[in-house]
Amino acid sequence: MCPQGPIIRLSMKDYQEINEKIRSGKAVVLTAEEVSAMAGTKSPRQVAEEVDVVTTGTFGPMCSSGMFLNVGHTDPPIRMEDITLNGVPVHAGVAAVDMYIGATANHPSNPSYGGAHIIEELIAGKDIELVAKGKGTDCYPLHEVRTHINKNTVNEMIMFNPRNAYQNYPVAVNTTGRTNYTYMGTLLPRLGNATFSTSGELSPLLNDPELRTIGVGTRIFLGGTTGYVSWNGTQFKTDVPRTDEMVPKVNAATIAVIGDARNMSPDFIRAAYFEKYGVSIFIGIGIPIPVLDEEMAARLMIRNEQIITRIVDYGSVNKPVLGEVNYRDLFSGEIEIEGKKVRTASMSSLLKAREIAQILKDQISAGSFTLTEPVQAFPSNTSLHSLQIR
Amino acid sequence: MVLRFPAYRIEEPITYNLIRDYNIIVNILNADISHGKEGSLLVEMKGEKQDMDMALTYLEKHEIQINPVRKTILFNESPCVHCGSCTAVCFTGALEMSRKERSLIFKPEKCIACELCIKACPLGLFELNFGIH
Repeated sequence: MCPQGPIIRLSMKDYQEINEKIRSGKAVVLTAEEVSAMAGTKSPRQVAEEVDVVTTGTFGPMCSSGMFLNVGHTDPPIRMEDITLNGVPVHAGVAAVDMYIGATANHPSNPSYGGAHIIEELIAGKDIELVAKGKGTDCYPLHEVRTHINKNTVNEMIMFNPRNAYQNYPVAVNTTGRTNYTYMGTLLPRLGNATFSTSGELSPLLNDPELRTIGVGTRIFLGGTTGYVSWNGTQFKTDVPRTDEMVPKVNAATIAVIGDARNMSPDFIRAAYFEKYGVSIFIGIGIPIPVLDEEMAARLMIRNEQIITRIVDYGSVNKPVLGEVNYRDLFSGEIEIEGKKVRTASMSSLLKAREIAQILKDQISAGSFTLTEPVQAFPSNTSLHSLQIR
Repeated sequence: MVLRFPAYRIEEPITYNLIRDYNIIVNILNADISHGKEGSLLVEMKGEKQDMDMALTYLEKHEIQINPVRKTILFNESPCVHCGSCTAVCFTGALEMSRKERSLIFKPEKCIACELCIKACPLGLFELNFGIH
C-alpha cells in the first residue's frame, strides 16, 4: 500500500527553521482542535503558511504501561527474585534490584488494586512496602528484605509503556442478553450503550496518520513531564483500511514511550479499575506536530466527522463488526445501530486531553519545548500475527 | 428503614419478635448495637399490610424510633478526570457530559440510586449512602 494523499508535498519549513522560531518566541502554535476549526475558512496552504506547530493530546486508559524501578542495594545485598510492592507482584528477573511494575498487575486478594495504583502512589510521593525474596548466593547472601520505599529513596523510576496512544480504536457494544464488564467499560445488554475511547480530532496519531513526524526519538508530553517516543508500540500495524485523508478506520499504529516518572504528576497518570476486568491506568500524552507543508496542514485540519471507526460487538464470540460511525456522531451522545438509537459514552477524557494540548502549546509558545525530528521512522508495511495454538 | 433503640431496649430481641409474632421478613443491612448505648438497625421489612401495621405499632409501643431511609449516591468530585464512563450507564440524566467543555455534570435530583455508576466509574468515585429522613 502506498500512503499517497491527494495533495502534493511542497516542502515549506523544516525542523530547524521551526525550532529557531520557537526559541525566538515567534512560532505560531495552535492546538489540533483550533486548526480543525479553521477547516471551513482557510485552505491547507494558508494554514501551512501561517501555523508552525500544532499540539495534540490524549488522556485515556492505556493498559500496556508500566514503570522500571531500581530500589538500590541493601547491605548485605539481595538478589530480588520474588518481589511485591504493597502486596502487588512486580516483575523480577532483571538483575538484582531492578524491577518492572506492570500497570495491570493485580493484588492477589484485592482485584481493584494493582500496579497502576503503585505507580500513581510512587509518583505522588507516598511510601510503598517492598517485600523481596532471593535464594541467597555468594555475592547476594540476603534471603529476604522487608522495607518501605518512595520516590526519594529509589535510584530511578522510569516509565516505559510498550503500547500507548492507539491510532483509532473500535466502538464497543454488546448485543447479548447480559451485561458485559470489559476494559471498554460496562456494556449493557441488547445494545444498551456504546463506548469509545479517543480524543478524536485532537488525538496525536490521528493528526499524523502516515507518521511523517512521529517516530523514534520524538519528544512528547508524557504524564506531566517531557518524555520520548522510544519505538513503535507493540501491535503496531499499517496494513489497514483508510479514509481519503489516510486516517485508519481501525486500530493501527501505536507508540512505545519513555519518561522520568519522578517528574510526572498524578494529574496526568491515574490508576483505574474496570469492574470484573481489572486494573488499568490513565496516561496523559501530548505530541507536537510541525506543519512542514501543505499536506501536513491538510492532515492536521481533519475534523471529527472525517474520522471513522468500527462498531464492534464485544459480547459475541469473534467480536463481529456491526457498522461504521464517525466521531462527531459518537461525541453527540447518541448513534444509531441496526435501527436502534444507542447512547454513547467516552472512556477517555477530552477535557484532560485539551488541558494537555494547551500545556504543550504554552510550553512551545514560551520557547521551553522544541521539536525533534525522528531519528528513525516507524515501519511502513507491517501486519499483525495472531497466536496459533499448536 | 432505620430502627433506633434507646439504650434500655438493647436487651430485647426485637427482630426475633418481628419475625415470630408478626410474620415480617426482616433483612438486616447494617447494625450498630452495643450494651449501654443507643443502637440502630438498618433493615428492609416486608410483610402483609395488616402484619406490617401491627409490627409498626409494636415498635412504637416499645419506644423504637422508625426512620424511613432513602438511598442516595455520593460523588467524590474533585479526583474526577471527566472520562464519561459513568454516563454510559446512567439513564435518568443524572450524569451527563457538558456538550462543549466535556466535563461531567452530576444532578443528584435526577438520580434514582440505581447504583450502576458505582461499578462503572474506573476511579471508584461513587458510593451508596443511606440518608435518613
